[in-house]
Amino acid sequence: MQESIISRRRFLAGTGLAGFGAFLAACGSPGTGSPSPSAEVSPSAPPSAAPSTEPSPAPSLSSVLNFANWPLYIDTDENDPTKHKTLEDFRAEYGVTVNYSEVVNDNNEFFGTIRAPLEAGQDTGWDIVVLTQWMAARLVRLGWLEKFDHSHMANFPANLLDAYKGADFDPNNDYHAVWQAGMTGLGYDSAVTGELTSVNAFWDPKWKGRVTYLSEMRDCVSFALARLGYSNATVTKEQFDEAIAELKKAVQAGIVRAFTGNEYAEDLVSGNVVLAMAWSGDIIQKQLERESLRFSIPQEGGVLWYDCMLIPKGAKNKYTAEVFIDFVYRPEIAAQIEAYVNYICPVKGAQDAIKKIDEALATNELIFPAEATYSKVSAFRSLTEEEERYFDDQFSSLIGA
Amino acid sequence: MGAFLTRRRGLVPYLLLAPGLLWLAVFYVYPAFQMFISSFWSGTLETGFRFSLDNWRTYPAAIERYAEQFGRSILYATAATILTFLIAYPLAYTIAFRGGRAKNLLLFLVVAPFFTSFLLRTFAWKIILGDDGIVLGPLKDLGLVEPGFRLLATPIAVVSGITYNFLPFMTLPIYVSLEKIDRRLVEAAQDLYAGPWRPGGTIVGAAVGAGLFGLLGAIFAFELPLMVGLGALGGAVVGTGFLSESFARVTFPLSLPGVFAGTLLVMIPAIGDYVNATLLGNPNTSMIGNVIQQRFLVNNDYPTASALSFILMAAILVVVTIYARLLGTENASVARGL
Repeated sequence: MQESIISRRRFLAGTGLAGFGAFLAACGSPGTGSPSPSAEVSPSAPPSAAPSTEPSPAPSLSSVLNFANWPLYIDTDENDPTKHKTLEDFRAEYGVTVNYSEVVNDNNEFFGTIRAPLEAGQDTGWDIVVLTQWMAARLVRLGWLEKFDHSHMANFPANLLDAYKGADFDPNNDYHAVWQAGMTGLGYDSAVTGELTSVNAFWDPKWKGRVTYLSEMRDCVSFALARLGYSNATVTKEQFDEAIAELKKAVQAGIVRAFTGNEYAEDLVSGNVVLAMAWSGDIIQKQLERESLRFSIPQEGGVLWYDCMLIPKGAKNKYTAEVFIDFVYRPEIAAQIEAYVNYICPVKGAQDAIKKIDEALATNELIFPAEATYSKVSAFRSLTEEEERYFDDQFSSLIGA
Repeated sequence: MGAFLTRRRGLVPYLLLAPGLLWLAVFYVYPAFQMFISSFWSGTLETGFRFSLDNWRTYPAAIERYAEQFGRSILYATAATILTFLIAYPLAYTIAFRGGRAKNLLLFLVVAPFFTSFLLRTFAWKIILGDDGIVLGPLKDLGLVEPGFRLLATPIAVVSGITYNFLPFMTLPIYVSLEKIDRRLVEAAQDLYAGPWRPGGTIVGAAVGAGLFGLLGAIFAFELPLMVGLGALGGAVVGTGFLSESFARVTFPLSLPGVFAGTLLVMIPAIGDYVNATLLGNPNTSMIGNVIQQRFLVNNDYPTASALSFILMAAILVVVTIYARLLGTENASVARGL
């Protein structure tokens, strides 16, 4: 199964032009920027499935569910890329056809496509969208998400691992359900560097010119915060400024070779780089090409990030979306997805369930991290709009743009 | 039908122009107008944007903040243009005059890289220039460069990448202009005693070599006197050996339209390029394209990104106008003189 894991973050890195759509969408007048999948929504969808503030006594399932996700982010048939067993299981059980679209390539770009209808109080055409936690926080902040009705959900949040509970932007999981998670830590060539477990290695002149940092602001800044003894979960503006200054030192000293997206992995394999800020999933994959590559969570603290299933405000098939979210929180379904995507699974019981598919996956620390590993990582706290703009702006200056 | 065409002959040019004009209107004029409007926006993606002419201040603010990246883009693009010229001219000349039966094959080879994606070609340079790759690996083994030396993540790598990626845009126009030169003109010049060009060829070769290498040295801030010396020496050798009087007086002047077109085709996209700087550069080699990309896609700062795009367009127009004045008129007068 290893060949099939291609990090979806690769798409964040290389295909910059894709995001131009966000700009074009933002140029459109309200209402014109919405995607067109609404045309696919069956007109025969029972009205009772429509979102409504009035509690409907017996919600019924719609015939379709419009689901927007990142590419390569669900189990896919090896012979037919349009077939996803999880979605077929859902249809077999509930009679709902999932219109599954791999249209999310970038958080901001996708946000650009749904902003106009959300602002105008219209349906975006999507019933479930998968976006990263900071974008989920932004949508919660704007009030642009439907609140889950937990009475429709037996498995969620019951089966959500404790490490993902109590998110600062939505502590009771009323709006977001984690789809997959990942960790950011040290990726290094142990044959050259030996074992590394401290973020201080990123500032070590010994590796001058052979270290890459990530161009994702939250990941990169988290390491500088950890070095200074701060946490990304509680960062203040002053601490952030200090962290930027600390990063600047490394840039000016020539230690940082480049700020990269996913391409750091190739540099690690070719030996150009011996230490990189790295995403856990990539390193497992690249070990096949260079055996001495290692991944470690720094002792000062690593980064946890996750993508969430969200129901956009005004979604036509809210009840069906809730049923679907609950469906993927069944351990055996979560295991089925996990065996394909190889990220970190947020569902309790999936570790046991996956043994039936592949025994080795159940013991893979990078797919099912131990409690102790979870205690070493934390998610970047949610930012206000003003903070977010300031942080992004300062970070852009740091990386030379 | 014939009668219709005769009567409506006046319409024909417009009909022929219509598809092109429509294309320009829909895919250039309209987006450019939209971008102009958005450069006068204020607000954020979350709150929405509002148009106001008061936001003209975005322009001076953007210039002030990103002057460094603007300057760097022009320097790198100039360096790449010089390098593509130095590589492409002999290449195009050889194909046009010495290509023989292999001409079509050679031309195909010039264009062949275009069959691979731009992004992949640039990634290939990461392998070629790798710290222990096929260029540096052997040099390091021989002890010719120190083990810590690298080419990747340096300005040299960025300019090399741009040079490589845009080389065909210089080669093809020069080839076309050389190809259509009437060979009888060269023969006529030789009949009129145009022979080896000495000492003219040596002097011109040395001067051009010193000038171009000096410019490269200045751009990379690398050993200026050494670069000028090397350029003068190399130029003198090449000039003595290869610059004949018929080349200097007939062939080169007649190929200037190709040089002019090639320079524009390389220079203009190179100024706005960001892929090479992203993949082959370091935090201190960002070009204006990187800034625009970051502002658009990461910071969602559409006003600044739009303003930067317009400033870039204006800067390119100024550079091109100066260049056209210098070379374009000279070009025309040389042609008239002949």
